[in-house]
Amino acid sequence: MKPAKFEYHAPRSIEEAVALLDKYGEDARVLAGGQSLTPLLNFRILQPRALISINHCPELAYLEQCENELVCGALIRQAEAERSAMVRQHCPLLAAALPWVGGISNRNRGTVCGSLAHADPLAELTAVAVALDADFVIANKEGQRQVKAEAFFVSDLTTCVEPGEMLKEVRFPRSQNGERAAFVEVGNRWHGFAVVGVAAQFKFSDDGLCETARLAAIGVGSTPIRLSGAEEILVGTNAEGEVLREAGHMASQSVDPPGGFHADAAYRAQVLGTLVERAVEKALGKHPEHRRN
Amino acid sequence: MTSHESSKFIGRSMARREDRYLLRGQGQYVDDIAEPAGTLHLAFVMSPHAHARIVSIDTSEALRVPGVVAVLTGEDFASLVAPIRADIEMPTYKHTDRDVLAREKVRFVGEQVAVVLAENKYAAQDAIELVYVDYDILPAVVALEDARRPDAPLVHDHIDNNIIFQGEFSTPDFAEKHAGSKFVIREKIRHGRLAGVPMEPRGCLAVPDRGDSLVFYTATQIPHIVRTGLATHLGLEESCIRVVVPEVGGGFGTKAQLYPEELIAAALCMKHRRPIKWVQDRREELLTNIHARDHLYDLEIGFDANGIVTSLKLEFATNAGAYSSYPFGATLETTGGARMIIGPYKIQNYAYKNYCLTTHTGPAGVYRGVAQPSCFLAIEALMDRIGRKLGIDPLEVRLRNVVTPSDMPWTNVLGVRYDTGDYPACLKRAREVSGYDNFRRAQRADRLETGKYRGIGISNMTEITGTGAPGWRVRGLRSVSGVDSATLRIDPTGKVTVYVSHASAGQGHLTTFAQIAADYLGARIEDVRVIEGDTGSTPFGTGTFASRSAVTGGGAVICAAQKVGDKIRRIAADMLQADAQDISLCEGKAVVAHDPGRFASFQDVAEIAYSIGNGVLPEGEEFGLEASEFYDPPVVTVANAVHIVEVAVDARDGRVSIENYCIVHDCGRVINPMIVDGQIHGGVAQGIGEVLMEEMVYDENGQLVNASLLDYLLPTAMDVPNLQIHHMESPTIDTTGGFKGVGEGGVIGAVPAVANAIADALSGIGANVNSVPLRPAHLLSLIRNAVREEGRAAIEESAY
Amino acid sequence: MDSTEVMDVELTVNGKRYKRRVEPRLLLADYLRHEIGLKGTHIGCAHGVCGACTVQINGESARSCLHFAVDVQGCEIRTVEDMATPEALHPIQQAFHECHALQCGFCTPGILMTAEEFLRTNPDPSEEEIRTALSNNLCRCTGYVNIVKAISVAATRLQQHKN
Repeated sequence: MKPAKFEYHAPRSIEEAVALLDKYGEDARVLAGGQSLTPLLNFRILQPRALISINHCPELAYLEQCENELVCGALIRQAEAERSAMVRQHCPLLAAALPWVGGISNRNRGTVCGSLAHADPLAELTAVAVALDADFVIANKEGQRQVKAEAFFVSDLTTCVEPGEMLKEVRFPRSQNGERAAFVEVGNRWHGFAVVGVAAQFKFSDDGLCETARLAAIGVGSTPIRLSGAEEILVGTNAEGEVLREAGHMASQSVDPPGGFHADAAYRAQVLGTLVERAVEKALGKHPEHRRN
Repeated sequence: MTSHESSKFIGRSMARREDRYLLRGQGQYVDDIAEPAGTLHLAFVMSPHAHARIVSIDTSEALRVPGVVAVLTGEDFASLVAPIRADIEMPTYKHTDRDVLAREKVRFVGEQVAVVLAENKYAAQDAIELVYVDYDILPAVVALEDARRPDAPLVHDHIDNNIIFQGEFSTPDFAEKHAGSKFVIREKIRHGRLAGVPMEPRGCLAVPDRGDSLVFYTATQIPHIVRTGLATHLGLEESCIRVVVPEVGGGFGTKAQLYPEELIAAALCMKHRRPIKWVQDRREELLTNIHARDHLYDLEIGFDANGIVTSLKLEFATNAGAYSSYPFGATLETTGGARMIIGPYKIQNYAYKNYCLTTHTGPAGVYRGVAQPSCFLAIEALMDRIGRKLGIDPLEVRLRNVVTPSDMPWTNVLGVRYDTGDYPACLKRAREVSGYDNFRRAQRADRLETGKYRGIGISNMTEITGTGAPGWRVRGLRSVSGVDSATLRIDPTGKVTVYVSHASAGQGHLTTFAQIAADYLGARIEDVRVIEGDTGSTPFGTGTFASRSAVTGGGAVICAAQKVGDKIRRIAADMLQADAQDISLCEGKAVVAHDPGRFASFQDVAEIAYSIGNGVLPEGEEFGLEASEFYDPPVVTVANAVHIVEVAVDARDGRVSIENYCIVHDCGRVINPMIVDGQIHGGVAQGIGEVLMEEMVYDENGQLVNASLLDYLLPTAMDVPNLQIHHMESPTIDTTGGFKGVGEGGVIGAVPAVANAIADALSGIGANVNSVPLRPAHLLSLIRNAVREEGRAAIEESAY
Repeated sequence: MDSTEVMDVELTVNGKRYKRRVEPRLLLADYLRHEIGLKGTHIGCAHGVCGACTVQINGESARSCLHFAVDVQGCEIRTVEDMATPEALHPIQQAFHECHALQCGFCTPGILMTAEEFLRTNPDPSEEEIRTALSNNLCRCTGYVNIVKAISVAATRLQQHKN
């Protein structure tokens, strides 16, 4: 499979990139890591008139901690974020999810923002963004605008980014002291795409009660689903035994998953409950970290 | 040497010669061959519909794409290429004729309707998007179960009820015997459709050669069948066609067919006298390369209180897809499943009816195992059920039913001869090395332990290998010769070249055939070179598939080596003034026994044979130092193995992990243990994929839902555990060399073993496992439906 | 660089500089294979799943079927052809040879490139870590058993070589 022809642009700054995106409107796509986009180009499922590569905009390669946020620019590669001590310390949920994203050859080139902007309903990082209520900064020729994760993801492969715009950075809330995070997923083989995945982050008080709970799932809807019902059940409890099962059960009941030949809706709903329980246990370090959780 | 003498090379795990260039990235696969100047590239327009009439094809816009030279349709090939028809002689068999490009009608999604010739591959793909085909969509029949329905659309007008052929067999008084069986278990086993998916997609390069001849490079396992096929379909002489097989990146049977694209490329090359190249992409590979294993076994097994099988009744249906592929046709799976299911067991009362059905799906063909993985899935599932029903350990059930060494050679009720093998010993050894008894002793009734259902599965399989001519005739296959050959030639400098009629796709023939030749000739192995896969230099043969190359190629190499060896001895005897029978050949020398100082090197002998230097050929001898031998193994030879696998099925997410895997394998005399193990590893990996994750899924409209590797899942390094392999060697008494085949044994053994392990794991909750693949969603639904509230609590508690 | 038409693309591959006039849509894999004749890198799927096309970009493994040659100008590309010397195989290749870790060889270059990066960054891996590192490369012939073994052997030898 060879891609259709396109015009190639390699702007050197975000202003230049945005100007080009504005010029081409919906006929252009942004090329960063290409791990999600290029297969679609090779299959000719997408045939944009222009590809705007941001790979030569070094100004977009920033990973910074601000007062309350960890800010990840458009050109930060997933592998970079995975290796970063700053990410491990200040955004442990992102650090927990990254090893699940493809393989190292994909993460070396794929970007954090690229995966989010592509919005594949099975992309692990989308669950992270929704769980943490991250802020998305979208650049356009007027300047920039900011939206919350829930508003960013509209549907399967669809975000609120309009023609002429691009995702410039994502701002993850910095984790507080004592917050623990975990990412769990199941698939139809031990490595590969998720069928269902759960991103989880909790804060427990010194006496073992859950103060805050953040849970989001992929694979049970066309966008990541925030599991607020399950969160409510867990807050104020020790998040184990009966109450944990109840939270899982609530999560299973609260979703209306799609079917498909990889797994039917009943499976997705049931396994979601299991994954909620496992995510809590993993975050609390109750079962040893093992890829085959 | 004879098989009684000790081997220097046979039996040794010699590292492969192929590696040194493959590891450096210097292997030359078909897409790597330097394209001659003026090469045109092909790209195909494929039908998006499973069944439709072609109303019109508009190629005008495609022709305007820069670099496009021509756009052709079925009508353009009507006079160039005869329709493809597999030559099968079997009662009730109805042929299908397949135009290389569809004319009038398309019959499966992916069937090619037009071809673009362009100066480069990118332009060719640009053009196929601009070919507009107007279709009149027709209703399609897709599922095996629907093919024979009275209202099912016909795939071919002349094939009533979509039955390509049907057969039946029955031992005498079967109905009576079956009715007299004390117990009967009924079961239906459904095997999902698979694809072979070698890592290298198919391709070919047709290059005009001197005069009116053609050099045809193609990724194939069957070079001579391709040559004959090209000749007969294109109306050419075989002598003007040379088929050259480059490095092939895996075949597994998918490259053992003659495909329309090969005929098209060759036809266009001959017509325009320009090089024509075509390489498929992965989507085309999944859509159009032969599929397999879309099978349904409807079974009844009768047995007595001791677990002895007293009768077996089978109705077997296979989905052959839209066309009968060439040369094996659609029949091999259908006959194979029905004939091989008896396996190593002494089943005396057997009746089957088999049906080969056509539907609007991709054509089926021969993929590793060819119905043996599915028929052993069936019979081995029944053996376990007998054990569960009677409370007898399933391994014991098998021991009570197998053919024993004292029965050998054994001919089963179908007339299949089992030459050698010790099935009881194999079972017992496997029981021992796998720790089977310990597992059973510790196993709980509900099988649940630490949140997982744990089971152990056995497969006890026999594999038909080394099929020669009689074997193919019995299966109705006229154009599959069955013989193979080798030409062994010593050149004037005393070095040995062995030309073998096979074509390796990763099996290491350049190494293993050299081991055989060196041993039987007494040559130094570094002086032996093996050449394969070139009809210009290698002698006629059938090709590499169906676990036959060690038997048929090995046999031919041995015969040729013995002939040349005899001549060396005669010439050397004359040179050394000794008796020919006192001459032994080793290390590239002809040595007088007990007098090692008296010898002639192979080079010395060769110089005599080629009249170089002053030596004189002995009287009555002819010039030259070579022999060409054909070999047709007298009957098939039967290899066997036992696989024992432990699995854990997660009770809450349905995922399966394979905890322990032991194999005891008998492929007769082993040529290269390392290569044999490698074949088993690869086969087992495919078997694991087959049971846990692989399935080609067509929707009700005949759309292939998962035509990419994102959605057709192959096992990775995390899915295949370490494998413990133990060897037994029961050399075959029937074939030269004593070898048996091994290429398919891994997958034939793995499929039943892994499936049975899962079935055993879930047997404690009464779940019935009777299909593959067993994806997590399916297993979890079995668990969910079997387990009541109390059971659910037990699952959660057991996880801690 | 505002065109669909051919443009000059300069790449540094295995330490050598090349310049070819190609379309922007030319995949890196095709630039390597057909423009400069390095055919060791194979195309198995063109959608980034099988890993047969794996090369290294700036020392990191990457799927050459998912990159356009024009877009990786300025990067150092390394292919399987750079691993061995004329006299000897790379220790990882040697281990593959001894352990029979290849059969048809089509996936092998991609696996070697992945393994080389992996061992450089994980010199003392467990078997589980090796399997995880390999899990994104497909092989249909070997069942991975010997590949895992070969990487383990290579890890030991590379460590010994360092000490």
